[in-house]
Amino acid sequence: MGVVHGQEMVLNIGPQHPATHGVLRLQVKTDGEVVSEITPYLGYLHRCFEKHCENVTYEQVIPYTDRCDYLASMTNNFGYVVAVEALMDIKVNDRVEHIRVIMAELQRIASHLLGLGAFGLDVGAFTPFLHMLRDRERILDLFEMTCGARLLYNYMWVGGLSHDLPVGFVESTYNFLDYFEPKIDEFVNLLVHNKIFVERTADIGRMPQEVAVSYGVTGPNLRASGVKWDLRKNDPYSIYKSFEFDVPVGEGGKGSVGDCWDRFYVRVLEMKESIKILRQALASLPKEGDIHQSIPKKIRPPKGTIYKRTESPRGDLGYYIESDGTNIPYRLKMRSPAFTALSVIDEIAAGWLLSDVLAILGSLDIVLGEIDR
Amino acid sequence: MNEDQDKLIAELVEKGLAGDMEPINEIEDRVLRSKAKAALVKAKRSAKPQETEDHVKQVSDKSSIDDKSLSENLNENIGEMVNEKFPGSLVNENTETHIQLTPDHWFEIAGWLKSEPSLSFDSLQCQTGIDIGENTLEARYNLHSMKHNHCTEIRISVSINKPVIPSVEQIWRIADWFERETYDMLGIEFSDHRDLRRILLPDDWEGWPLRKDYQVQETYHGIEVPKMKEGWE
Amino acid sequence: MTVDFIFDLLNQFLPGFSGNGFLLLFAMLIPCLILFGFIAVYALVVIYAELKVSSFIQDKVGPMGQGFGFHAGKWGLLQPVADALKLLTKEDIIPGSANRVLFIMAPFMIFIGAFVSFVAIPFGESIIVADLNIGIFYILGVGSLAVIALILAGWSSNNKWSLYGAMRSAAQIVSYEIPAGISLITVIIITGSLNMQEIIAYQQGGIFNWILFDNPFIPVAFVIYFISALAETNRTPFDLPESESELVAGFVTEYSGMRYAFFFLSEYANMFVVSAVAATGFLGGWQSPISGYLDSPGWSVFWMMSKIAFLIFIMIWIRWTVPRLRVDQLMNVCWKVFLPIGLINIFGVAIWTVLLGS
Repeated sequence: MGVVHGQEMVLNIGPQHPATHGVLRLQVKTDGEVVSEITPYLGYLHRCFEKHCENVTYEQVIPYTDRCDYLASMTNNFGYVVAVEALMDIKVNDRVEHIRVIMAELQRIASHLLGLGAFGLDVGAFTPFLHMLRDRERILDLFEMTCGARLLYNYMWVGGLSHDLPVGFVESTYNFLDYFEPKIDEFVNLLVHNKIFVERTADIGRMPQEVAVSYGVTGPNLRASGVKWDLRKNDPYSIYKSFEFDVPVGEGGKGSVGDCWDRFYVRVLEMKESIKILRQALASLPKEGDIHQSIPKKIRPPKGTIYKRTESPRGDLGYYIESDGTNIPYRLKMRSPAFTALSVIDEIAAGWLLSDVLAILGSLDIVLGEIDR
Repeated sequence: MNEDQDKLIAELVEKGLAGDMEPINEIEDRVLRSKAKAALVKAKRSAKPQETEDHVKQVSDKSSIDDKSLSENLNENIGEMVNEKFPGSLVNENTETHIQLTPDHWFEIAGWLKSEPSLSFDSLQCQTGIDIGENTLEARYNLHSMKHNHCTEIRISVSINKPVIPSVEQIWRIADWFERETYDMLGIEFSDHRDLRRILLPDDWEGWPLRKDYQVQETYHGIEVPKMKEGWE
Repeated sequence: MTVDFIFDLLNQFLPGFSGNGFLLLFAMLIPCLILFGFIAVYALVVIYAELKVSSFIQDKVGPMGQGFGFHAGKWGLLQPVADALKLLTKEDIIPGSANRVLFIMAPFMIFIGAFVSFVAIPFGESIIVADLNIGIFYILGVGSLAVIALILAGWSSNNKWSLYGAMRSAAQIVSYEIPAGISLITVIIITGSLNMQEIIAYQQGGIFNWILFDNPFIPVAFVIYFISALAETNRTPFDLPESESELVAGFVTEYSGMRYAFFFLSEYANMFVVSAVAATGFLGGWQSPISGYLDSPGWSVFWMMSKIAFLIFIMIWIRWTVPRLRVDQLMNVCWKVFLPIGLINIFGVAIWTVLLGS
């Protein structure tokens, strides 16, 4: 039986489309429902982050990093301050490190919640999305309690933090963890093992290891392809070395390794690991310690270059900073994990049906604010 | 003199194998230090050839000091190897922090860096461009090996008048977008790139924004381009 | 029947116009108006139910309000009214490159398909607009009008997303009509009639006389019919024609205001029709579940409505629980699962009826 080829149709998914997670244009060539070629067009959210950075001082860059990956502002702050501190050789005290790790892991859960919910939305499951948002709301409450902001925190400063933990934060976080842990299982029952969901995601958009590595895909997307690579383990920064946790990798539970379902499930497992880290960090949180202790009077890193990577919820978030000895970065480049994740879309999604392409896009969990910067 | 040195190195290697890196790091003479480290690495490799798998697993448990010293050593090793294989491409003999190359053989060198088993830089972590002044642009490549868990930085500078660097997008696929971004922002042209277009800015944007001499265009399609605020401190 | 009844009534009260053709027209119009009013009110109720049920499933409160002011009323009861008003007062946009005539026609056509089905639905022994002798066949037939309307809507919009939606819906509805029809054939084999009232009459005498419990093959037929009905009404998990995360809004992408409301209304009207057919064919229609208990004409309306309401509730429940199927999986389920099972079912029911039937 031969395959009938019709005329190809060029379809613009976006820039305004419910499934593009922002303002992204995917130009797809379709033959009926089958997509033969995908060309992403970026830049609809471009706002010259890197040019801005060359005009503001080091501490003024932090609010800009918030706005890059607006779903994981804490980890964006974290990566930046870790890079600048490494450049200036600042050591922060233990309490600050613990609070940073707590915030980063809470942010990781919040980000994964939204990513998973939005992925559910992409394959037509509306209810899990709202369940996810309900739980994410409680994390945002914790952030609001700490620094007053719910989305863009500007919380981590070079050498310290903007605010100390408020009274009752630790208990509230414990309460949240006790509440949230069973909710993950509820979610797994509702969506992850749902027959239709498995049909829609298993074996779809397989990303082989070599492709993932060559395209610089990192984070949960890379781990779903079976590569046990997590900067918190492999190149530990801050105090991640002192915590016990596993790095979940995709095992092809429902289909083959590296399919959409794996990318989805790895994130679910990562939330469990984050809870483990949070419990340890909360237990070992030092009572004493001035969070402003190491903040330098004037941030003037010595002449030099640094490339520092941290593990954001979306993967390796790298900051490349070139300092010329003044209080303004000479060049600052952000290597964003979503940028590299999106670049692989043509490789893994071409040849699938239109619905699958959007499922694959959702499974990569991209944030356009970070891609366009 | 040489015998003394060998003795000293042997002593240091023994100490290093026992986990004490302090004496090696304290050596003033850089040549001696790197020799000692190289010997240490060799000793480590020969000491446990069967444990390579375990070794990979232990990578994450190593202390950061050890990591740093290894990578410094690595850079110099790579520098020497590049000089041997591609004579004339190494611009600066000093390869402590990075490796400065000429653009001529960059494509071949990149392919070699990826395929050479002892290096196997399979992942391009970050590619960035920078205007370092004096009419010079520089492309910088942060390479990383998933297999050996080591990093290095390659720098290639070109004149602003003829900013052409061979593209490596066929070696590391992610370089496709990274190079497009560098082209978009600094106007460095990557020869043999299969799809070199602007990526973040519109196709008809004028100028290269991240060059230090960049002048914002007055209007874009009849829309006034907002000026950057001055005098923020 | 009802038309004749009203015609006689009008003849009695307006002797001056007796025998006038105008009166007959009038007699036909009155039940239509009543039905239209009924559909409108029913749609408001179901929209409210959908909002509240989905809110319950999604762990949120849904429309809420206090008193009877302009804030959605007590418990948000006025929310559907506000929605309807919003749709009514919205600007009516017809895209410049659209085919005007077809674009305007499509929403009416889809509504006609749903609306004329209502005339054959029995709510009681004599509460039926037209007691057709091919009632169930008629409903299946006019239900297919929706396909033409959807294709018209999708094609005339001159929008790629609409076209995708129309293509998908055409394939989907045409395919799923077959398993739906096949599962209803089992009912017809048992009752030996296409007439809605006769099918209901067969099921007289309490819950155990319902066709659903007639023989072991029927529950399978019921499940197939119900799932196919979901597909025919474009409800999740079969809402591919308008899957909002893929095709923006499918065939309704370019519609706004009242025209959009007609698509909306016909979806809910279709839900009612397929539920009514399921209730009639499998669940005893307007018969009381307990023989001789609460089976006056008034109660018969209650039983019919509550059976329909129950089925609609299940539809809403499914919609807010499961993800969407992909287009090829949708076809696989239809042709590779439902059709063979449905055909085997027909054989089973036929043999059962021949061997054990009265």
